[in-house]
Amino acid sequence: MGRLRSRQTRKNILAVSGLFAMGSMLLLPIFVALPVLAGGGASATGGPPPDVVAAQEAEGEGEKEQVEVGRDVYYKTEGPVVGAPAPKTEDTETFYPRYNFESRVLLWVANQQHLYYGSFVLAVPIFCMCIEFAGLITKDKAMAKKYDQLAYDFIKISLTAYSLTAILGGILIFTFLTLYPAFFGYLSSIFRPVMHIYALMFVAESGTLYIYYYGWDKMKEGLLKWLHASMSVVLNVIGTVLMFLANSWIGFMMSPAGVDEQGRYLGNIWHVIHTALWNPLNVHRILGNMAFGGGVVAAYAAYRFLSAKNDEERAHYDWMGYIAMALGVAFLIPLPFAGYWLMREVYAYRQQMGITLMGGLLAWLFIIQATMIGILFLTTNYYLWQALGRMTGGERFQRYIKYFVFILVVGLLVFITPHTIVMTPAELKAMGGQQHPVLGNYGVMSAKNGGINAIIMTTVASFIWYQRGNRVPAVKWAKFGNIFLITFFVVAHLNNIWVACYGYFIPANVRIGLSIPQVAGTLSCLFIGSALNLAMLRQSKELGPIRWGQIAPRSQYALIMLATAFTWMMGLMGYIRSSVRLFWHVNEIMRDNSPWAYTHTIGFGANVISFNVLFFWITILFVFWLGALGAKKAPVPATQPVPGGAPQPATGH
Amino acid sequence: MTWLKLVEGYMPMQMISELGLSILVFVLINWALHRAGMGVPKFWAGVGVWVFIQLYLKYRIYPPIPFSVRAIYGTVSACGIFMWVSGSEKEWQEFKRPILNVMDGITGFHKSVRMAALFVIPLALGGFAYNSFLPSFEEPIELRTVHPAPPATTKVHGKTFVLQVVQNPYRVNADGDYDQGYTDARIVEQAMGRLMKDVNDPNYNPWDPNAEGYIKYVREGGEIFFQNCHFCHGDNLNGRGLWAYAFNPIPANFTDAGTIAQLQETFVFWRVSKGGIGLPGEGFPWASVMPPWEQHLTVDEIWKVVMFEYWHTGYYPRTWD
Repeated sequence: MGRLRSRQTRKNILAVSGLFAMGSMLLLPIFVALPVLAGGGASATGGPPPDVVAAQEAEGEGEKEQVEVGRDVYYKTEGPVVGAPAPKTEDTETFYPRYNFESRVLLWVANQQHLYYGSFVLAVPIFCMCIEFAGLITKDKAMAKKYDQLAYDFIKISLTAYSLTAILGGILIFTFLTLYPAFFGYLSSIFRPVMHIYALMFVAESGTLYIYYYGWDKMKEGLLKWLHASMSVVLNVIGTVLMFLANSWIGFMMSPAGVDEQGRYLGNIWHVIHTALWNPLNVHRILGNMAFGGGVVAAYAAYRFLSAKNDEERAHYDWMGYIAMALGVAFLIPLPFAGYWLMREVYAYRQQMGITLMGGLLAWLFIIQATMIGILFLTTNYYLWQALGRMTGGERFQRYIKYFVFILVVGLLVFITPHTIVMTPAELKAMGGQQHPVLGNYGVMSAKNGGINAIIMTTVASFIWYQRGNRVPAVKWAKFGNIFLITFFVVAHLNNIWVACYGYFIPANVRIGLSIPQVAGTLSCLFIGSALNLAMLRQSKELGPIRWGQIAPRSQYALIMLATAFTWMMGLMGYIRSSVRLFWHVNEIMRDNSPWAYTHTIGFGANVISFNVLFFWITILFVFWLGALGAKKAPVPATQPVPGGAPQPATGH
Repeated sequence: MTWLKLVEGYMPMQMISELGLSILVFVLINWALHRAGMGVPKFWAGVGVWVFIQLYLKYRIYPPIPFSVRAIYGTVSACGIFMWVSGSEKEWQEFKRPILNVMDGITGFHKSVRMAALFVIPLALGGFAYNSFLPSFEEPIELRTVHPAPPATTKVHGKTFVLQVVQNPYRVNADGDYDQGYTDARIVEQAMGRLMKDVNDPNYNPWDPNAEGYIKYVREGGEIFFQNCHFCHGDNLNGRGLWAYAFNPIPANFTDAGTIAQLQETFVFWRVSKGGIGLPGEGFPWASVMPPWEQHLTVDEIWKVVMFEYWHTGYYPRTWD
């Protein structure tokens, strides 16, 4: 027994040492690059690094005068000019080599596909991490196995997608190099100090992912399992840094910093990375990726549910779909607030950029975006109401669905009412002006905030319904708790409506500040409402088991719709974000002089977005199919009974 | 339906409340009928509610809502009704029953409806297709960008203004310093009739002969407005001036929450200075006949008139901090 334990200890020590060595190797690129970061990087375009510049300065006054100093366009600090100015391009083959097709659309498709897969493979490991940890800390061994199997299922899907991400990344770079060489050359000269870090991080990400996946069975117990779970943290840290670096490029294109007016690099790479919009973009993208990843996995589960051959499979994929949807929606709820912050920063950075986005040229695209957000929330509610159908006692809540529908529909109608209405001149004349005296009020931010907050609060209430589906609180204070909960939601809704109305009577800056109590009300419903509900359900009477797998098929179509809406919205928002630069490659620094430096019509844009969505879903179906192929090889105990209708995990991978 | 007025200032909430009350009345009637054993079938309840919403939007709300918005509202309400009728399996089965009955032709009546549908649906689709191919003499739909993004800078009377940072030089406190809070406190109250806070106080009444500083500049702006702008924008600044209906679209209604209330003061300064002819490419289809006022007014006069517009409407110019 003692020998066995000592052998196990040796094995653990060996494994820990091995993993530590591996981790160090994987993170080596960061440490190697640190001095570069601290020093502001070497010359972006061949000039001397800052320390050499400093040495040259020390040589004498005459020498000092030769060092040209530039002023940062954003930070307004001065720094030595160490880069070449942004190229002044012309509409020629030299600057814009082309096929007999619109280069911008080719780049758009390549970029979007890479982004879809990139988002997916960055989001899924975060889910795996959460689910694996949930499995580790749960005391119920059957549940622990189920969670472990689920996490494995998740990472299995992302593995194939990971290869596709890398392939699409290669295609994207080739597209840049062949169609926009001048622009790509300039961008890579600016970001040269971190370009290789990005590439090395990608290697580190791959290494960690493969060890994480292939080591699943080897590291399934004891300390090794904890180490395995910890690897998912390392994996996600690397993934997040990768995404932040990629975000810095688009942040620079939208709101450049670290360069002078001519676009000459001033030697401080942190300024180039940390632009005005970098952090809002980071937060928005993390949340967006998570919501998107949840949607795609939920669609995978729905696909497997609808094609399931037996109740056992149906039960498993019903459960998987629910978990993925819940994770996705958990990140969808704060997404509008992150988007609000991003837009606020856009307005603060450039007023005209904000107006182009939300009040001018691209405003109609935001109405489409609002519609998509509405679809996401409505679909989520619909799925939860359908899910009540597989619970004994769930029908108690279904009779109130019509009231929730009313709040959701009114909230959505207000949220999507356009400020600039599409109409014929005859309608315009009949209306007596551009603004409709009734609907015009829904077209402004104050009303829209009210609309979306009402939708989110109703979604939270649907979640609380779902949690109570087959359970009745049995705590002594259940009655008080119920009254408190209902009052809380009613007051939050009244507060929301009042603030939305009051917003018309106060200055814009105060109104923006007033969105804080509005959001606070919504978040309070989310956190306090959910926490209180869970506390009430700690002692509860179960009316019956959850009949996993016995959910109406239309709920699964709702999941597929949810995922499609996520995909479409991501495509749309990417297009909006990119279009807002109008005729600039790098805003106010490098002008786009290609023949395609114009804004597409809404119809054309929507068609390309739809093509991207279709292409992604066709390819991801291939990934799903591969995942299903692997599953067929796994030993599935088909004859094993399903206790309580719950899904049974496969016993091995 | 104009006998029941939409009350100015309350119209948006009035519309939602009326719709909500109507739905509640439907629910109560249906509940009472259900209790009496005569509940409305789910299918007809769903169709009825949807038709009611469309009729409400078309005939209750005035001025008429453009078709594009009614189409959006119609689609969303149809989705909402679908969510309601299919919320539970029992309701969904109940909703589907009349449709399935017709498709299965279980009685003679259902068979005749099915036969009628066989003709009516293709004919309706054919008619729709035919109509869509007919040449139309109606003016095309316009997607007008009412508030195009302003340039980063604008040049007026030879001076360059950076619109992101420039401030109205007349929006000042008693010490002559730029002070938005001070001036915001002196605008008219935003209520029906837009009341001045204290007519007898020279700090609030621009027409008081003792008015000084900001409030005096508002008066000067008002004089400029009534000499130049009110013919189109109206003496109540609501876009209903003497000449307003000679134009299509009619001039901007400053009392609407969607015009100057949404804009920075510098945006209004730029639009007034450059007029319709100075709209950027983004402002398609450039449907504005406003003259470039820089050709008629000085820079100071433009700042003053802009300030008057905010004062009179009771709105605050948009700020970001």
